[in-house]
Amino acid sequence: MRGDLRMLAGLALAGFLVLPLVPLLGWSVAQGWRFPALVPDRLSAQAWSFALSPQSGVLASFAITTLIAAATTLLAILIGLPAGRALGLYRFRGRGLVILLLLAPALLPGIAVVFGLHGILLRAGLAGTIPGVILAHLVPVLPYVTLVMAAVFARFDPAFEDQARSLGATPWQTFRAVTLPAILPGLMIAALFAFLVSWSQYLLTLSVGGGRVQTLPLLLFSFASAGRNDITAAIALLYILPGLLVLAVTARRITGRGAALTERLHP
Amino acid sequence: MTDRTRLALLLGPALLVLGGLFLTGLGLTLLRSFRYMPALGLTEPDLAAYTAILTAPGFLTSLALSLWVATVSTLIAAVLALAAALLLRQTFPGRALISFLVQLNLTIPHIVGAIGILYLFSQSGSFARLAHAAGLIVTPAEFPVLTQDPYAIGIILLYVWKELPFITLILLANLQSLGEDHESVARSLGATRWQAFRHVLLPMLMPGLLAASALVFAFAFGAYEVPLILGAHAPKALPVLAWQASTDTDLATRPEAMAMAVVIALIGFALLALYARMLAKGGSGAR
Amino acid sequence: MTTLSLHALRKTYPGAGHAAVHGLDLTAASGSLTALLGPSGCGKTTTMKLIAGLIAPDAGEVRLDTGPITHLPPEQRGVTMVFQNPLLFPHLTIAQNIGFGLRMRGLPPARIADSVAAMLSRVRLDGLGDRRPAALSGGQQQRAALARALVLHPKVLLLDEPLSNLDPGLRDEMRQLIRGLQLETGITTIVVTHDQAEAVALADRIALMLDGHLAQHGPPEDLYRRPASLAVARFFGGVNFLPGRSEGGVFRSALGTLTLPPGMPEGDGILTLRPEALRLGPGPNARMARVDAVTFLGTQTRISLTVEGCALQALTTPDLATALAPGTSLAVSLPPEALWLLPPE
Repeated sequence: MRGDLRMLAGLALAGFLVLPLVPLLGWSVAQGWRFPALVPDRLSAQAWSFALSPQSGVLASFAITTLIAAATTLLAILIGLPAGRALGLYRFRGRGLVILLLLAPALLPGIAVVFGLHGILLRAGLAGTIPGVILAHLVPVLPYVTLVMAAVFARFDPAFEDQARSLGATPWQTFRAVTLPAILPGLMIAALFAFLVSWSQYLLTLSVGGGRVQTLPLLLFSFASAGRNDITAAIALLYILPGLLVLAVTARRITGRGAALTERLHP
Repeated sequence: MTDRTRLALLLGPALLVLGGLFLTGLGLTLLRSFRYMPALGLTEPDLAAYTAILTAPGFLTSLALSLWVATVSTLIAAVLALAAALLLRQTFPGRALISFLVQLNLTIPHIVGAIGILYLFSQSGSFARLAHAAGLIVTPAEFPVLTQDPYAIGIILLYVWKELPFITLILLANLQSLGEDHESVARSLGATRWQAFRHVLLPMLMPGLLAASALVFAFAFGAYEVPLILGAHAPKALPVLAWQASTDTDLATRPEAMAMAVVIALIGFALLALYARMLAKGGSGAR
Repeated sequence: MTTLSLHALRKTYPGAGHAAVHGLDLTAASGSLTALLGPSGCGKTTTMKLIAGLIAPDAGEVRLDTGPITHLPPEQRGVTMVFQNPLLFPHLTIAQNIGFGLRMRGLPPARIADSVAAMLSRVRLDGLGDRRPAALSGGQQQRAALARALVLHPKVLLLDEPLSNLDPGLRDEMRQLIRGLQLETGITTIVVTHDQAEAVALADRIALMLDGHLAQHGPPEDLYRRPASLAVARFFGGVNFLPGRSEGGVFRSALGTLTLPPGMPEGDGILTLRPEALRLGPGPNARMARVDAVTFLGTQTRISLTVEGCALQALTTPDLATALAPGTSLAVSLPPEALWLLPPE
């Protein structure tokens, strides 16, 4: 392909990728935008000011969603880091089965899991509570963190830990001074994307939260079905902010070939 | 501490959580789909729920719709992603920007994209207005129905929009680890560019492409929030149907909802198996 | 300074058909440098890891002067191992690497800095303390890894193949450095290697391991001139082996009767003679030989001979071999003092 043809194709691709965001940007600053106008009737910040005001409930919802995502990520790391180590460094019988058990919750459609999950959490008295939702989010997030950490540990040479022990370091010192620095980049990326997975959960929160836990996607949907395009657009743009932040932080590690955001990320 | 104890301690919590939440949840769903619900006095498992859904036209239509959506969107996304990966393989002006946009896309939740697609393609959306400005239509009703339509065009568009970058990144990672040597060898043996692609590169990319496609298909088949926004009232996508059956006030429909969930899970497991086999064959990414 | 001793050490890896290390008994005297020599798979690295505490034995004991350390975790043994791959921690500078063990002990930063600076000079890495490992050459990394271990003044120092990763030109330098530092510090050191020339050049004593067993343990010269078995002799490049019987001070074999040196045991055995000791020309135990091939090896020339039906080899300096062409007949001598009797196989 010649250079300019490549550039054109690239332009088309770029346009395609950005397209859905364009009307969102437009609607979020619109005060009235009737058919067939190509630009809003009037530009205004009223959608944003309402979204950011206490009456909309957006900020409270933002906080809850952040809390849940952060807690889920933390739990997932505490449980998933050792599990990832086991998978990455050891070859054992049943390893394939364990990986399958880990892949399943992440890959199966949420609807297949949600009924049973709700049932269990209901019995545990956690339905409709934030801890319940956190546990529910753990189901898609934990496998993700574990598999990423398995890949990270597979690239880690445990001989470094042996060497540290031989130089007088206790197991805990070895972890802090040698293992952690080595796995930290991968761990950070896993954590950031785990956060995003929890952040974008809809059905699990709807089901387990029972309507009492109003995360941002649920709120967004209510406004979308109510037909208030301007507010919906503003909330939608707010909703994608953490993703942009994650991207900004990890972009430095990502080469042009995009190797960091690959197979482990569940769409 | 022996290796085995250490292994048990490392893996234990994760297996416990997943076993307790996921496997038990699936098990519960399965039991209920067989109408085994002691709390309601039903202690005789049977297949009534399954026969009910398989004979009711609603379920089969929804299943067909969901399969249609998943198949079409995955096919389109896979083909376009292949082209995109080949495009992005080499440098050209603007490549860095596109890389960034591809990664940006991955961080945008489906629901946001769905709303965007709605505002773009609805009958009073951006494209309709452009058509009006070009003198092609006069009223919104003249613009073709692309969203909340029976062919699920809007839904397919959204899935293609989300899955294209995902598959592209996986293919790029594969391309990077495969290197250019194989094609160079083919070329030096007399193959044209197209032949080198068709007979050397494509077969090598296939396992990764199929693995990614399996993932994408599973998601497109089973997602709930996208059909909610972009789907028509009828036929409903299968996950939506299943959810509505589960929240129906008529308790008798619960087992049917569970049965639908089991069917969805089975299809999901089949795709998982395909994914695992493709991974074993050739890998879905650099490792 | 510390004596290290191993008693009946045994280790079988799970799933392996045979033991990696079989009932090993070995003593390394205080302040000595012992080379643990053997082909790959002979169990020497396993032995090292057992001493270091990185794996646990199935049976047996590891002892220092202070007592058994068999069940102590690696960081409490006072035994420091340097791996074949320098394993410098990539996220730390050279100085931080060298000071690592001291930092783990909780020493004050000022003291650590002093010790590290002194060590940097000792291994001739002055000025490189602030660099990252990736910025150093292979040889420099090896020296840094060595410094990192020495700065701790361990009771026992274990070096796993310290020279194999280096270019031949650097090996000599590194070998002298290791020997020099070891003599200076007097740390009981065990060096693992598969290269017999290296072991011979470096060590006070060589412990040759074959198939998980200790085949022979002694000064290098002993293993060369007085090997304990056919396997040991072969490992050190012995090629002249003559089965036969020793009786009354002579050896009867296919080569007839050969005079033995005093002190040789009676009975069946295998006579061996190092190729460099086989003399070309008349002398005691003389025989007629025919030259089969002459191979120039650089500093030496190898002469393949047939002596009364037996294939023998001699190694000599090139100038002495100039007159010899394949097919030539000449007298060769098997001097009794160079003969050694091996037990029969």
